[in-house]
Amino acid sequence: MNQVLSSLGFGIVTASILLPAAIGFTLQFSATNVLNIGFGSQMTLAAFIGYVCTSHGIGLWYALVLAGVFGGVTSLLLNRFLLTPFMRRGTTFFGMIVITIALSLVLEYTIEAIWGPVSVFYPLSTGGIVHVGAMSFTAEQLVIIGIGVALALATHAMLRYTRTGKAMRAVAGNAPLARASGVPAQRIVDLAWLLSGFMGGAAGVMLGISLASVSFTMGDTMLIEIIAAAVLGGVGQVYGAMLGSVVIGVLLEESAVVLSGAYAPISAFVVLVIVLLIRPTGLFAGTAKAKGVAA
Amino acid sequence: MSYYLTVMAMYILIGIIAAWGLNLQFGETGVLNFAYVMFIAAGAYTTAVFTLGHPSANGTQQYFWGTHLPFPIPWIASMAVGAVLGVLVGLVSLRRLRGDYQAMVMLVVSLIATYLVSANTGFLNGQTGLALIPAPFGSVHLSELNYRWFFVAVTAVVALLVFDVMRRITGSPLGRTMRAVRENEAAAVALGTNVVKIRLLTMAVGGAIAALAGAIEVQFIGAWSPAGWTYPETFGLFAAVLVGGRGNLGGVALGAFLVQGLFLEGTVLLPSLGNPDLVGAVQWITMGVMIMLFMWFRPRGVLPERRRRFATEARSRVPLLLVRAQRDARG
Repeated sequence: MNQVLSSLGFGIVTASILLPAAIGFTLQFSATNVLNIGFGSQMTLAAFIGYVCTSHGIGLWYALVLAGVFGGVTSLLLNRFLLTPFMRRGTTFFGMIVITIALSLVLEYTIEAIWGPVSVFYPLSTGGIVHVGAMSFTAEQLVIIGIGVALALATHAMLRYTRTGKAMRAVAGNAPLARASGVPAQRIVDLAWLLSGFMGGAAGVMLGISLASVSFTMGDTMLIEIIAAAVLGGVGQVYGAMLGSVVIGVLLEESAVVLSGAYAPISAFVVLVIVLLIRPTGLFAGTAKAKGVAA
Repeated sequence: MSYYLTVMAMYILIGIIAAWGLNLQFGETGVLNFAYVMFIAAGAYTTAVFTLGHPSANGTQQYFWGTHLPFPIPWIASMAVGAVLGVLVGLVSLRRLRGDYQAMVMLVVSLIATYLVSANTGFLNGQTGLALIPAPFGSVHLSELNYRWFFVAVTAVVALLVFDVMRRITGSPLGRTMRAVRENEAAAVALGTNVVKIRLLTMAVGGAIAALAGAIEVQFIGAWSPAGWTYPETFGLFAAVLVGGRGNLGGVALGAFLVQGLFLEGTVLLPSLGNPDLVGAVQWITMGVMIMLFMWFRPRGVLPERRRRFATEARSRVPLLLVRAQRDARG
């Protein structure tokens, strides 16, 4: 029982990392309808940028912000100069996923070519463990939880209470109608990519801090978890992604206790398969049905 | 050098067989099987456990089960496993999802399969992989080099058989239905096609072909490990199909020759520069860029799919009727 409780602590940390990642992945998909398989590699790249920052003496948390900004800007540029031109050319969604996976290959192996196949490490402070009941957290983990929750709340506030958020929901719901109603759809799509990249970049550094190391294939495992969280919540549903992240995050760490640690990602996969077999639209079915991704 | 030539010839032939299987799924039916390399691996592992013998006979290697059976049986078993796995993966991912969404799920399947096999040492010897897998045709007595050429020749015959099967499928009404599913799913459904069934069928046939390629490969190289079937390998084959021309068997073979043979294996001959992983990394980067360039400039490949004409009979009859009509009018 104690072990289950203490791993709940790890689960909360993992969920807090998954939160921005899954929100970013989903937000971008709902606004553009393009599944970005390169998301995991973009996260890894941002995590390495975070490493470069820390190795130049920049503090860990500033590095996180810088990596997030880097992720946002790259994401925006990739959309503007790679993905949008392909879309304009009439490449189907079917073709777009081939493009994003090719992009993923390019990014992942560019990282390997630059930093090599070995892991790099973030400088972490030692000591300072906070006990909350049976759970214990390092100071860094507490900050990670704070950032994850803050990013989720900020997304919620933006979508609910700002004009931009309203416009983004409009574009996600029906892009041609939104455009006809005077919503600057292109700018909203750009913003979605920017936010998605920022969230992914921040999540990449958070993951690096949590694992204490960063390697070029880090994004691959993370991508499984992000997709599981996004699909569980209903792809394109930001609130679904939030719920999915919490469920998958806690499940991953609890299953690491019950099974052995190496099998943890498999539990995320099992959830994915079950959801696809029983309810492929996910818990919140709206977007998936509207966009025809799942019936 | 002659030894290296057999390796090169073998990789090209295996690449061609595997690319044809992928072409049936991606080129003809339009299923984006991003887990394709997993089927190659399934075939390789099946043949390995069907030839290695009982696990206790190989003290240092751990695997869940094993036996030793003579030549065609392991390959046939591999194809059966590939087909069954294809249907299983298809049942999870293909039934109710949009095409790109299916592809994403398959990618996850591929990632998790590599993960599962690496993490579980007792299953298929984990990260280390299986080695000392015996070569087929034990009764053939040839010198080492001649034996290798003999193996290449057998593979060439297998490739011809696969070509024949592919040509028959793509030329048949079934092939036409597959292309209908690819081009316009809604129209295919409206005409009464069971789209899911067609997709599952391509998953099974393509999976069997992939497994066959894996079976041949594993007996040629004698070893197999998770490092050999990570997800980028699938995109080496996608690149082959895209470069050659999806839907054109000759084009796909050309693509496999260029990408799998010259590009992936030929670069082994290059002197290594600095970081030992650099050549491999640059290869995959180039592969990604190549896929994007072809999608932009030549989405139909070097040798595009030929437009099929089925109307020969009808066309030959129309002029005849006209001639008759004119004659009757005159008369």
